[in-house]
Amino acid sequence: MKRAIIALFALWMAAFSSQLFAEELIVYSGRSDKFIKPVIKAFTKETGIKVVLHTGSSTALLNKLNLEAERTKADLYISNDAGNLQKGTEFKLFQPMDDKMVKVIPANFRAKDNSWVGLSARARVLVVSTKDKSADFVKSVFDLADPRLKGKLGITHSSNESYIAGVTVYLRANNEKVIKSWLNGMKTNVGSSVFNKHSKIVKAVANGRKSIGLVNHYYIYRHLAKHPDAPIKVVLPDQRKDDMGVAWNVAGVAIVKHSSKKKAAQQLVEFMVSEAGQKLFAEVNQEYPTRPGVPAAEKVPTRASYKVADVPMTDLGEYRSATLDIIEAVGMP
Amino acid sequence: MSSSLTVPRVSTRSVLSTLVVLLASVPLIYVFIHSGQLSLSQWSNLWSARLPGLLFNTLSLAILVAVGSFVLGVSSAWLITRREFIGRRLATWLMILPLTIPTYVFAHIYTSLTEREGWLGLLWAGIFGEDVPNPELYNVFGAAFVLSIAGFSYVFLLVSDALTRSRVDIEEAARLHGLTPRQVFWKVSLPMLRPAIAAGLALVVLHVLSDFGAVSMLRYQTFTLSIYLQMSGRFDLQAAAGLSLVLVALSLTFLILERFFRDRQRYYSAAQAQRTKRRAATKVELTFIWGWLGLITTFAFALPVAWMLVWTWEAWQQSLISEEFWGYVQNSLIISVAAATLATVAALPVALFHARLRNKISQGYLHMASIGFVLPGPVIALGILSFVLSMLPWIYGTMFVLLLAMLIRFLPLAVQAQEASVQQLSPSLEEAGRSLGATPWENLRRIVIPVLRTGLVSAWVLVFIDTLKELPATLLLRPTGFDTLPVRIWVEASEEMLELAAPSALMLMLGTLPVLWFLMRQHDAATK
Repeated sequence: MKRAIIALFALWMAAFSSQLFAEELIVYSGRSDKFIKPVIKAFTKETGIKVVLHTGSSTALLNKLNLEAERTKADLYISNDAGNLQKGTEFKLFQPMDDKMVKVIPANFRAKDNSWVGLSARARVLVVSTKDKSADFVKSVFDLADPRLKGKLGITHSSNESYIAGVTVYLRANNEKVIKSWLNGMKTNVGSSVFNKHSKIVKAVANGRKSIGLVNHYYIYRHLAKHPDAPIKVVLPDQRKDDMGVAWNVAGVAIVKHSSKKKAAQQLVEFMVSEAGQKLFAEVNQEYPTRPGVPAAEKVPTRASYKVADVPMTDLGEYRSATLDIIEAVGMP
Repeated sequence: MSSSLTVPRVSTRSVLSTLVVLLASVPLIYVFIHSGQLSLSQWSNLWSARLPGLLFNTLSLAILVAVGSFVLGVSSAWLITRREFIGRRLATWLMILPLTIPTYVFAHIYTSLTEREGWLGLLWAGIFGEDVPNPELYNVFGAAFVLSIAGFSYVFLLVSDALTRSRVDIEEAARLHGLTPRQVFWKVSLPMLRPAIAAGLALVVLHVLSDFGAVSMLRYQTFTLSIYLQMSGRFDLQAAAGLSLVLVALSLTFLILERFFRDRQRYYSAAQAQRTKRRAATKVELTFIWGWLGLITTFAFALPVAWMLVWTWEAWQQSLISEEFWGYVQNSLIISVAAATLATVAALPVALFHARLRNKISQGYLHMASIGFVLPGPVIALGILSFVLSMLPWIYGTMFVLLLAMLIRFLPLAVQAQEASVQQLSPSLEEAGRSLGATPWENLRRIVIPVLRTGLVSAWVLVFIDTLKELPATLLLRPTGFDTLPVRIWVEASEEMLELAAPSALMLMLGTLPVLWFLMRQHDAATK
């Protein structure tokens, strides 16, 4: 027993010291491992630079970065949400990148000072049952507050980052009063029963427990890839003449201001915005690569084929608190 | 008891224990400082907007879990200690095995089992038809179910302990005076058990108040979850500290209750433990006993373990158990061994200090060392984080920060375990050593430690088990890239990768088993 303990201690010290001296890029990642690992692996294969992923929730990791300030070990920050990236810019946590490096990505998908850059975009769309016609009248996300959908609507809980970002877009395209009454209507429709994951909403619509749900587009295509015969369809909301269009959000990356390995960090960003890197994002998660000319997955509607809400991604950070205040005031579950 | 040696003086143990206690109070100081920065209007805002809902949610959950654990814990303890039946030893084991499964694993497993496609979902549809929606766990009842099956073992342990030590003679006297067995149970046995039950329930409620994993997976807003969300979602550290302050007051109430009833329990148990006579169970009773205990075991252990096995097999088949997985196992072991050792050593001066002095100050130290019980993991983590960043920045980002958090979180366990055996160490024993020429160090090595062995070992084991399962502080404080099994369960569960969460959960359970076995053996030896 004693010897085992001593051996374990030695092991621990070894693990500890190897951590001190290793030359690795440390990435705080708020994305699912399975979506980011293929990109990292390709990068390491190409450059030989090792990358350690420190996975967690985007918001919690940003908070950590903020508390750590100059003592952070992180070199890069990856978030699944533009809101968090913009918050990081506000907190001055990131190192602005060279224009040359990121100009391949349209200006709408990066910070004004290039302190972060969007890598892949997703659309907030409706998943609708093809069996049950009761939700066919829905043309806009605002129709989700219609009392006809009582008990038939699936949404996530209100601390979901994609959900908050969506509401922020709608808030910017409308006004507070509209959003409040919309949220109140949805609250009545869902009762207290909300979902903790988007994938479960798609499942619930597919098996007939719900008629309609508000989700990110790739959850639907992912489900259809596994169950091609599932009785569900994608509806792009708010496409009529005066409608605001579909809400988009981007996942992106930033170089941490206090990183000690900026050169390697830049290499990783360069790889991620390169055509090869961008293609991987389209493949692993059926998202829209932010770099023009790199196509999205085949089944996903092309970005030119529908109207996207004209709200800059930076707004997702700047108006996040306003959105949270409204959500809390309404008491969304 | 120790009137001869209560001269207060500056001794090594008083200095050391002061240091330990100061360290333990860091997170509490942090809470005071930050909540002190809240303005009056912010307080009234918190008070009106959040507190009523949170109080209601938290307390209703606590009450339901207390009821659930009472029913499960007391009934099983009674059957096992009062009847002799086939497989009684096994039954004891089955009732404590749920302790090897963390609450967030229970929550994760039961949410996937009750889905439409899950085993229980399919069973439900088979019985009631496809159209009847199956019950969901994302509410107070779901959370209460999960926390009851995860926590009733504490009540079981305390109550069965009390039952084996209880005064059978009083029950016999009651019988002789013509009470029926049922009357004896309600009028004599149960009242005598009250302190044990109350202590067990207070312990369960304390766990409910500080639980983070299960309530966050079930999205049931209690104080702890709300504090975590304030901190990590809104960057609102002051509001988080304000909520923590209220939670501390709440937990403190239950901690004091638990202490109070534990002391009462000592008073009730017989001085010379008279062996309880167990009556052989009749055939009917046997069916009932195993029916009931079997039902408990099915939900609290067998079903979750079956789930883990099935999905681990699936992961094995898809060769998903990679080298990285063994790295997580190693990380978990490293941190748990280190934390258990550190906490056991740190608790020693506090316990000894109390043994020597037994006055208000040492009692106060004992309470201060229990801060980890009343502060939830996220708050401890945050307190440590800002302490380290402002005072000891050079250790930031290393394992020591995480170790420090584990130490503060689980120090109360270590102190409590040692306190019991320290009571056997009478000051005269030490004095005898010293008068025979032993140096203080020799005294410690040759007298104190051997006497305290049992306490030290159980302190180590208890801290080891809890560190192995710890989630919220590890999430916030782990060095970069240092993922433990709980962290992986958390990550994989939030991505719905059942195949990946299962092997980690299984490893955690297997890792806890040998230490639990060791602890139980020691416990048995002590009660014999």
